[in-house]
Amino acid sequence: MSFDEKFTAIRKGLLEFLLLKIIAAEKVYAADILKQLEGTEFATQEGTLYPLLSKMRREGLLDYEWKESEAGPPRKYYQLTAKGREHLRVTTEYWQTISATVKNLGPRSGA
Amino acid sequence: MNKVITINLNGNAFQLEENAYEMLRTYLENAGRKLAGNPDQAEIIADIEQAIGDKCRASLGEYRTVVSLQAIETILGEMGPVDDGSAAAAGEAQPAGGNAGGPGAAAKPESTASASTAGDSSGPVKRLYRLPEGAMFAGVCNGLAAYFGVDVTFIRLLFVLLSFVTLGLGLGAYLVMMIIVPSARTSAEKSAAFGSPSTAQEFIRRAAEGYYEGMKEGMKNFRDKDAHREWKRRFKEDMRSWRRNFREEMRANAFRWHQRWAPPGPGLHPAFLLAWPLLALIRVLLTLAFVAVLLSLVFTGAVFGLLLPWGMPMWVGIVVLVIVFNALLWPFRWHRYACGYGCGGPHPLFGLVMLALCLWLADRYVPHVHEVLMDLPPFLHHAADSFRTWWNRH
Repeated sequence: MSFDEKFTAIRKGLLEFLLLKIIAAEKVYAADILKQLEGTEFATQEGTLYPLLSKMRREGLLDYEWKESEAGPPRKYYQLTAKGREHLRVTTEYWQTISATVKNLGPRSGA
Repeated sequence: MNKVITINLNGNAFQLEENAYEMLRTYLENAGRKLAGNPDQAEIIADIEQAIGDKCRASLGEYRTVVSLQAIETILGEMGPVDDGSAAAAGEAQPAGGNAGGPGAAAKPESTASASTAGDSSGPVKRLYRLPEGAMFAGVCNGLAAYFGVDVTFIRLLFVLLSFVTLGLGLGAYLVMMIIVPSARTSAEKSAAFGSPSTAQEFIRRAAEGYYEGMKEGMKNFRDKDAHREWKRRFKEDMRSWRRNFREEMRANAFRWHQRWAPPGPGLHPAFLLAWPLLALIRVLLTLAFVAVLLSLVFTGAVFGLLLPWGMPMWVGIVVLVIVFNALLWPFRWHRYACGYGCGGPHPLFGLVMLALCLWLADRYVPHVHEVLMDLPPFLHHAADSFRTWWNRH
C-alpha cells in the first residue's frame, strides 16, 4: 500500500468530524463544502459527500433549507442543529484526547 | 454522428450522446443499488442527479447542445462512486486493526510525561501516581499536581506549610504516600497520571464498544443511578484486568526493551548498578541531614550553632539550603536516570532500608555508634523540649 492509501481509512473516519466543523463555521451549500475541502488531504467527491450529509441529517446533526443560489434553482443550504453542535463539541474533545495519546506514546522526542 | 437521447436530471432536460447516456444510466443504477435500503435513497439520488445536471450544464455552450461521452466520463470521474453511509462507519473501525501494534510495543519505558494538553482533561482513567521525573524527593507532590491538574510548586508549598502547621505530621503523610502511592514508570501509567487513556488501541476499543456513544448522548443512558454504578463497576474491572495484563506483558518484555531503549553509555552499566545501593544510602543520609539543618535553622535561627553569614534573614537561609540540597542531589538523580528508570530504578524506600541496615550493623560492630544511639532518645527529648519552649514563646 502506498503511504496515501494507508491513511484512507483515517481520512474517511475523520470526514464526518470535519463536515461538522465546516458547517458550524457558517451555513453552506454542498458545493461550498466540496470547494473548501478541495486541495486539502480530505478532498471529497459528491458520491461520498451526499450520502454522508444525508446520514448526518437523519441523525439530527444538521438541517437544511432551500435557498436560491446565484444563477440557478434553489439548493440545499446546510446548517448545524443544537444536537450537531453538541456532537461537535464532544468529538472535538475526543479528538484532543486522541491527539494527546498519540503525542505521548513512543520516543521522548515526541512527534 | 450519434443518436441523442434526452433525459431528465432532477427536473432539467439534457441531451446526451447515446453512449454517454449508457454510461450515466449504469452509474445511476449502481448508485441506486448501493443505496437500496437507505431511507434517504430518493433524496440522495435527486441530489446526485442535480449535481450531474449542473456539471452537464457547465459543459454545454451556446453552440454545443449535446453532452458528449467525454464530458460524462469526466463528470462521473469527479463525482466518484456513490458511497452508502455504512462504508464510512466501517472505515472508522478499520484503524483499530491497522494501527494497533499491541499495547506493549509502542510504550517506551522512559517516555516523557509531558502531557501538557491533557493536563486538565477529565478523561475516563485518572489514577494517582508518583511522578519521579522532575521531582524534588520522591515525586509525591508531582503526582498530586498531575492528578489535580494544578501547578507542582503550589502543591509543594501546600505540603510544606501543612507539615509546619501539623507539627511534622505532614511529613509523615508524605512518607506514607511515598510508600503507598505507586510510581508511574510506564508511559501508560504516566498518561493515566495526567488523566488520559493510555493507548490508542484501548481508546478505539472503547469507542467501538459504544462507551463514547453514552457520552455523546449526554449520558442519557445514565440517568438511572443504578445503571451508572453498574457501568462504572464493569468499567473499572475492565481497566484493572487490562492494566494487569499490560503490566505482565511489560515485565515479560522488560529485558528486550532495555536493550532497545538503553540510554547512551551502555558500557557504564555494571558499575552503575553496583553503586546503586550505596548511592541510595547516601541520598537518604543527605535527605536527613537536610531536614535536620532546616529544622535547626528554623527553630534556633542558626545551623547547629553556626550563625548565618552576612546577617542573612532566615528565609534567605532556608532558600539557600534548599538550593544547596538540590545541587547535591543532582548526581543521584542523574545516576537514577542513567540506570534506566523505566526498567525499575531504586525505590526511595530502598534508601531507608539501607540506612536502617547500616545503622544496625554499626550498632552491633562499632561500640562508639552504640553509645550515640543510646544517647539518641534523651537527645530527642531535649530537642522536643526546646521546640516546645520555642512554640510556647511564639
